[in-house]
Amino acid sequence: MEGRPLDEQELVEQARGGDARAYEVLVRRYQDLAFRTAWVIAGGADAEDAAQEGFVKAWYALPRFRAGSPFRPWLLAIVANEARNRRRSGRRQDDLALRVAEDRPSGDAAPSPEAAALAGEQRRLLLAAVSRLAEPDRQVIACRYFLELSEAEMAAALGCRRGTVKSRLSRALGRLRAALAEQGAGAAASATGLPGGDR
Amino acid sequence: MSRRELDLEAALADLAADLRFPPTPDLAAAVTARLEEGPARNPARRRPPARRWPAWMAGWRRLAVAGLAVLLLAAAVLVASPGTREAVARRLGLRGIGVRVGGPPPPTVTTAPGARLDLGLGERVTLGEARRRAAFPVLVPTAAGFDRPDAVFVNGAVPPGGRVDLVYRARPGLPASSFTDAGLLITEFRGQPEPEFLKKVTGAGMVRSVTVGGEPGFFFSGEPHFFSYQDTTGQFREEQTRLAGNTLIWQRGDLTLRLEGDLPMAEAVRIAESMR
Repeated sequence: MEGRPLDEQELVEQARGGDARAYEVLVRRYQDLAFRTAWVIAGGADAEDAAQEGFVKAWYALPRFRAGSPFRPWLLAIVANEARNRRRSGRRQDDLALRVAEDRPSGDAAPSPEAAALAGEQRRLLLAAVSRLAEPDRQVIACRYFLELSEAEMAAALGCRRGTVKSRLSRALGRLRAALAEQGAGAAASATGLPGGDR
Repeated sequence: MSRRELDLEAALADLAADLRFPPTPDLAAAVTARLEEGPARNPARRRPPARRWPAWMAGWRRLAVAGLAVLLLAAAVLVASPGTREAVARRLGLRGIGVRVGGPPPPTVTTAPGARLDLGLGERVTLGEARRRAAFPVLVPTAAGFDRPDAVFVNGAVPPGGRVDLVYRARPGLPASSFTDAGLLITEFRGQPEPEFLKKVTGAGMVRSVTVGGEPGFFFSGEPHFFSYQDTTGQFREEQTRLAGNTLIWQRGDLTLRLEGDLPMAEAVRIAESMR
């Protein structure tokens, strides 16, 4: 793309005016986010379907989009809704079905192979603990830390009020902490400073 | 925020850096292809209603199947009034229309994507005929331009006591809903506490409590809704292609009414209050 990339508002305005090319740029820009959000909510095979359907519905709903308001939460609400509906009609997603990369050593300084292996193991344990949380807890944690959504975006993706996002996250973190403690992962947790079995 | 929380948050952030999501499929290409092949319902160039009318009328007639209830789902952020969502859920609801906020809807089976809207509208009749056949006095807006609906449907079977639907074509000042192609859809029926004929489950979305002619109502807006239906076997059928625009539901004596259209709340209420 030559020149500066069009900013979001310009693209949304053009798309609202019926410019499918502008919309395609928006889809390309947010497809990672939409797909991953759908993945967190619906998981597996439904995620692609939900994200695609969400983008199509968002296009038809664009006339209703309030000009000047942020596009991402609006889009996420539609995509997440699609994802939830697919998940409801299908089986419940059992875990996040995500994996931890094997190739990244831990920390900034070059660690010993043993330390790297240990750190990798700790991440896997933490991911496993997140995966075992109840669905609402898992989703709020994934939205915040794995998708790095803002509060408004989390509210949109989770279909809850913005005011409740913080408390919901805090409760989920509490339960994750308890689960880690229960896991008897004191050893694993303490090595990274994870509050595990210190209560 | 406590140190413990920060530690756990730091660990999660560290984990996130290592997390591998599956590769994102090429959604942009797929979406663009679907928009090109789909009905050219471009927001800027809506199909003229005159051309659109026969197609969706045929669809509605064809699909006028008894035994359907409508489940409304809404996306977005609930901005409803003070109190918890549970409190809101308890407070909402009119005779024949249950409104639940949050929580999962009943189990659904999904209709094929692209399947046409099924509102279970019933038989198309004249307004006079509808008045003769309905078990209740049929109300029609007296607001200028709304006193003569473009189409009237009667369904004697669902819900018990029957229903009447008034449909208005899109026209200047009454934009076509991107979802129904119609400008306005008004449904009226004699609501019973049980069974619920319409269910509105809103995970979120803007819900405002309104008064229509001194009686209670609710206005749903902010995000598209979509419909699913309960068929005669009690199964909810999810209609993937149907999105609903702003919707006003309200009570008038023993009648329950629903008005859907791309209208601001004040205009919806004005039309509703003019119904005689």
